[in-house]
Amino acid sequence: MRKHYRWGAMLAASALVITACGDAPEETSTEEETTAEATESAMPTESDMATESAMATESGSETATAAGDADYSACMVTDTGGVDDRSFNQTSYEGMQRAEEELGVSISVLESQSAADFEPNINEFIDQDCDLIVTVGFLLGEATAAAAEANPDQNFAIVDFDFFDAEAGEDITFDNVRELTFATDQAAFLAGYVAADQTETNAIGTYGGLNIPTVSIFMDGYLAGANYYNEQNDANVEVLGWDGAEGQFTGDFEDQTKGRNITEQLLQNGADIIMPVAGPVGQGTGAALRAAGTGKMIWVDTDGYESVAQFQDLILTSVMKNMNVAVYDTIAAGVDGSFEGGLYTGTLENEGVAIAPFHDFEGDVSEETLTALDEIRQGIIDGEIEVTSGG
Amino acid sequence: MSADLDARPAESTRDDGLDPTSPLVTRRRAFGIFLVALAAVTLLFLLGEGGEATFVLRDITGGDPYFQMPDLVVSVGTVVLVVAILAAFAGGIQLARGFGRRTYLVLGLVLALFVFAFLTWATAGSSLNLLAILRLTIRQAVPLVFGALAGVLCERSGVMNIAIEAQFLTAAFTGALVGSVSSNAWVGLLAGAAGGAFIGWLLAVMAIKYRTDQIIVGVVLIVFATGLTSFLASQLLTPNPDLNTPAIVSPIGIPVLSRIPVLGPLFFNHTIFVYGAFAAVLLVHWALFKTKWGLRVRSVGEHPRAADTVGINVYRIRYQAVVLGGAVAGLGGAFFTLDSAAQFSEEMTAGLGFIALAAMIVGRWRPFGALGAALIFGFAGSLSGGLAIVQVPIPSEFLLMAPYLVTIVVVAGLVGRPRPPAADGVPYVKE
Repeated sequence: MRKHYRWGAMLAASALVITACGDAPEETSTEEETTAEATESAMPTESDMATESAMATESGSETATAAGDADYSACMVTDTGGVDDRSFNQTSYEGMQRAEEELGVSISVLESQSAADFEPNINEFIDQDCDLIVTVGFLLGEATAAAAEANPDQNFAIVDFDFFDAEAGEDITFDNVRELTFATDQAAFLAGYVAADQTETNAIGTYGGLNIPTVSIFMDGYLAGANYYNEQNDANVEVLGWDGAEGQFTGDFEDQTKGRNITEQLLQNGADIIMPVAGPVGQGTGAALRAAGTGKMIWVDTDGYESVAQFQDLILTSVMKNMNVAVYDTIAAGVDGSFEGGLYTGTLENEGVAIAPFHDFEGDVSEETLTALDEIRQGIIDGEIEVTSGG
Repeated sequence: MSADLDARPAESTRDDGLDPTSPLVTRRRAFGIFLVALAAVTLLFLLGEGGEATFVLRDITGGDPYFQMPDLVVSVGTVVLVVAILAAFAGGIQLARGFGRRTYLVLGLVLALFVFAFLTWATAGSSLNLLAILRLTIRQAVPLVFGALAGVLCERSGVMNIAIEAQFLTAAFTGALVGSVSSNAWVGLLAGAAGGAFIGWLLAVMAIKYRTDQIIVGVVLIVFATGLTSFLASQLLTPNPDLNTPAIVSPIGIPVLSRIPVLGPLFFNHTIFVYGAFAAVLLVHWALFKTKWGLRVRSVGEHPRAADTVGINVYRIRYQAVVLGGAVAGLGGAFFTLDSAAQFSEEMTAGLGFIALAAMIVGRWRPFGALGAALIFGFAGSLSGGLAIVQVPIPSEFLLMAPYLVTIVVVAGLVGRPRPPAADGVPYVKE
């Protein structure tokens, strides 16, 4: 009798150990000890957001050539997708990696396996005296706000979150948190326009992971872009999967099977260009298109032509959200000592958002459409074109 | 589905002489009231919306049927009215004298009609591909069928298998890895079955040899498989994308049959996994109920002492059933990576192993029952996707809940008291 308890205990223990390995903080920190040279040079502090970010890039690269700064440590807490999600966590992490390479800062990352990891991961980094803690994703908003309030001397940057006091109904900012947000609807508007132009079935589709603002903003811009196409060209392209308030969602950012199933339904209901806004789940769309042998997809967050290279021949374009640039700029500002809390918004104008080249489909998009896209881009920048569906 | 009524045919067919407070009469009344209420709900909520609903019954992305199936156009008002009348009528009969052993059949038919009325209402003024919903129902049922069959095999032999999720995940991983390395989906499929069988073997060793608590072993195996596959995925697959691009199975259209309108795309143009799931139901049914081995499996699951007395090696039979069950679940796991998603990602089975477990219970530990339950759950999942396309005024979160809601309603409301094999979960100690 005694023996089998031992076996059970052993299996339980090894299970725990292995899970712990899976969940374990995968820390990648560099031991590079480069001497730091103070480079508080050409960094204007009172310029508007857009130019500031542009400047940060410039001064950032200057810093890199001048010297590294191993005393500065940037730490990242990811959302559940992990740094290899080929989507927003990965893009943000690329900004970290670039900072490591060019600025010589030391970086480390903790991957959250579930929402329960957010707070402990942030606290872990606070204990490690990180100079800047970057939290990635809308879902980390609350945990970041709480940590920022409790630790006023700790600098944070959060990707995809704009603090808002729901009770008072007003926008709030913290002096120690930089909010990196993106007007992705601007770029998605362009994608929606192209999709409406390229569809052969007169219907395009989209679906999301969860109905949260950072996801639905893509779908909204996409819908608005298609509607704008209809207005301008007297067309009647239908958008399946999003009506301006409700739509099709997989319920998570992990289950690619759901992505595949939803895509099959969209295809069978007539859509031939699909934009999944669900991180890695979007690869299920690629699998469905392959199986059906028809249709195209629009990738989001990164240029899918590179990040999901196995589906290159299916990717019409991508709605890029340049989180890597924003994260890098924030770290660079931190190294310079010019870190500032508050809101940064990536737009078409400051190239925080953009649509990717058409790659394999370049020949399919007519000159006319390209010209129209340029005009729309300018129209959005000038504020003449409304990019929300108004739903 | 009517096993517990079969057991008491005299009571359920004619209950005139029964005490009116007996549970059977109460139950009869409850079903009758339910049917009448369903009729009322249909009239109250679904009527009023006018217009026509268009149902597409074709595979519009491909296929070359013998003739093009026209769209089915129905008037919403008529459908709703007819369904409401039928439901009320059935409810009346049920209240007055009861359908006896056909109760569940009638209940199922009326519910199906109600779902159709609901779909018609939701589609009013637009169009929906009904064929796609049914086709996806089958595809979504595939892993559930394999998982539930695995459960049936194990539990019929007296070993509780709540580790179906672990078998899925491990098989999905090994299937993806081996399918990539060998560039052959069939080898990947075998590797998936082997991965599932490995977890089955672990379960068997723990449960049969060391007589550990089987629920705890199951939970531990799930945690173990989740951790191990996630760890290997991030350490092995992520840095080497080549190891995570398995050769995938492609649909095999059955000649002639696949070109029949509606039925062709629905049943005869699928991947090997779908055909395999149906074949597995038949095979497991045959093996359990028509062979000597099956009789032995069931006897060690019901009364191992008696089986032992007549010379059956209880341990060996249990080992065989559990490892075989693991291999069957492994086929379901391989479906995720070799068919559905075409690659492995962490925790990709998303709890379907537990839904498979529910399918086994709803199916009352019978292969065909499990198939039916898996199809119901698959339909709930695929319906929620279809409803999102026609934009029903229901929040997407509720639509996503549908499969789980159906699971709870079916398990709690319709199945009644499930009767597992008598020795299920009880380790056998040879004297």
